[in-house]
Amino acid sequence: MKRALVTLGILAATGLGGSAAWAQEKVTLQLKWVTQAQFAGYYVAKDKGFYKEAGLDVTIKPGGPDIAPPQVLAGGGADVIVEWMPAALAAREKGVPLVNIAQPFKRSGMMLTCRKESGIKSPDDFKGKTLGVWFFGNEYPFMAWMARLGIKTDGSAGGVKVVKQGFNVDPILQKQAECISTMTYNEYWQVIDAGLKAEDLVTFKYADQGVATMEDGLYASEEKLKDPKFVERMGKFVKASMKGWDWARANPKEAAKIVLDNDTTGAQTEKHQVRMMGEINKLTEGSSGKLDPADYAVTVKTLLTAGGEAPVITKEPKGAWTAAVTDAAGIK
Amino acid sequence: MVGLVLLLVGSAAALDYVHRPDVAGAAPGWFWGAVVGLWLFAWLVTARFAAAAPPVAFGRRAVDLIVPVLFGAFLIFLWEVVTVGAGVPSVLMPAPSAIGARIAQAVPTLRDDFVQTVLRAVIPGWICGSAAGFLIAILCDRVPFLARGLIPIGNFVSALPMIGIAPIMVMWFGFDWPSKVAVVVIMTFFPALVNTVAGLQAAGRLELDLMRSYGAGYLQTLLKLRLPAAMPFVFNGLKINSTLALIGAIVAEFFGTPVVGMGFRISTEVGRMSLDMVWAEIAVAAVTGSLFYGLLALAERAVTFWHPSYRRR
Repeated sequence: MKRALVTLGILAATGLGGSAAWAQEKVTLQLKWVTQAQFAGYYVAKDKGFYKEAGLDVTIKPGGPDIAPPQVLAGGGADVIVEWMPAALAAREKGVPLVNIAQPFKRSGMMLTCRKESGIKSPDDFKGKTLGVWFFGNEYPFMAWMARLGIKTDGSAGGVKVVKQGFNVDPILQKQAECISTMTYNEYWQVIDAGLKAEDLVTFKYADQGVATMEDGLYASEEKLKDPKFVERMGKFVKASMKGWDWARANPKEAAKIVLDNDTTGAQTEKHQVRMMGEINKLTEGSSGKLDPADYAVTVKTLLTAGGEAPVITKEPKGAWTAAVTDAAGIK
Repeated sequence: MVGLVLLLVGSAAALDYVHRPDVAGAAPGWFWGAVVGLWLFAWLVTARFAAAAPPVAFGRRAVDLIVPVLFGAFLIFLWEVVTVGAGVPSVLMPAPSAIGARIAQAVPTLRDDFVQTVLRAVIPGWICGSAAGFLIAILCDRVPFLARGLIPIGNFVSALPMIGIAPIMVMWFGFDWPSKVAVVVIMTFFPALVNTVAGLQAAGRLELDLMRSYGAGYLQTLLKLRLPAAMPFVFNGLKINSTLALIGAIVAEFFGTPVVGMGFRISTEVGRMSLDMVWAEIAVAAVTGSLFYGLLALAERAVTFWHPSYRRR
């Protein structure tokens, strides 16, 4: 009897283990920033079991100020990353073979927010002012915009002075800069929460200025995409992720709660995340997950015309995106 | 010497081979075997040099120099051969040759970063912090009550995490160099304080009694005996502060800066995947730090020539 029980135990363990290993394909996703509603689609897909339904065991790695997703991918720490297209194309040109496999964000949330009292009413008024810019690979859209306007960024006469903005909004509160970089879903609301009112501010959306570039997209390694099985796995991942994004648009409050549940730092608040979720949903609306070649072309053109001494990219990229994954997912 | 020549020829051949287009990134197995052999041979040559004991002073000094140079050069050789031969992505670890090329091409940028970080932040901060520590130490020595009150506070301030202080300094003093100087002052103050306090207590009882028998007052005793006796400690503090100041200024630039500076460049180029530029800045920082420390060591030698540790053994 004892022997029978032991035998059964061994068989059960072997069977369960084998079954689990066979059924669930592992995927590691590296986010671009800390856990927040910007990545709600992935957290929803995980917590609601959409990935599991697709036969995937997905690990989500939060990002942060010191994490460059392309580097994580190059180092083998992830299968797929969230990255903005300008940084992805720049990294590709530097030898990290990133390929866009999907584009959940249809619209750009990037803005430059200025104090009205600074006298700035239009981009023509930027000259002589101090502007806050994120760096670490996030500065490309700004550089493209300034190049488009013909404004130098080295602080010389007739140009603008640029300060490296931390990941907060202090420069505009402390009046150390007339304008700072903000996202529609994050820093802008930090400014509002800090006491400045919408009527105290003048905000320029990159989209309105014609210099918006594609933001949160999914990127994988060109090398790995040569494997049809990997493409198929990515197809399942993208399909389930988009299902998560659809669910988040239909259930913003619940989606925000899911994000909060996944925030291990405890730094996020419900108010901030619910509001962020509302703004993020405006950016993903209308996206099936497939990258629109026209959007890609606009981004590339913007980056190429950002000339000057340090262009974001120096030549038209080749093979920087593929529809193979969204095709495999049956996404049109 | 014959061994050294053979080692140089072997290394040059290996470098030439590994840089061939068809070899880079896909070096064959026998090549790695050859590299290991070359490494063992380098070990033998270095060991032979280290064991040599030339009778003349010049020869002895030459050997003292050759061994670390050989060792360092071979490490760089291995770095180049491994990164190129194994096709290590440059975003993970660029080859020394790529870093060298970047240094040559980016001299104007490296110079601007050096001016901003070292000349505007490190040196002023180091001077202010060390001077403040030194003066307050003398004050504490004169007023024991003050010592009991100030030293614990100095200890407390030195324990504040620099990463927490830096953003606050940016808020108080703005984005440019003043906030970096403030961080450096805070970091360098305490080492200068404790080293000078310890130094002022270094004068022996016998020497103090001698000064008293000469009828010397506090000021004379301080200037002619106690400060000279404290110099080894003071220079210890200055040397510690030279490296702390450089680290402090660079890291302080991670939190809000104008778009120039070593720390700014390092943090932003990492995000841009330009690791060769990051290493170029690191190389400049390392050389700067070493020279700064070296200059202080030379000054220390000149000022404390009398110290027993310099006597010939």
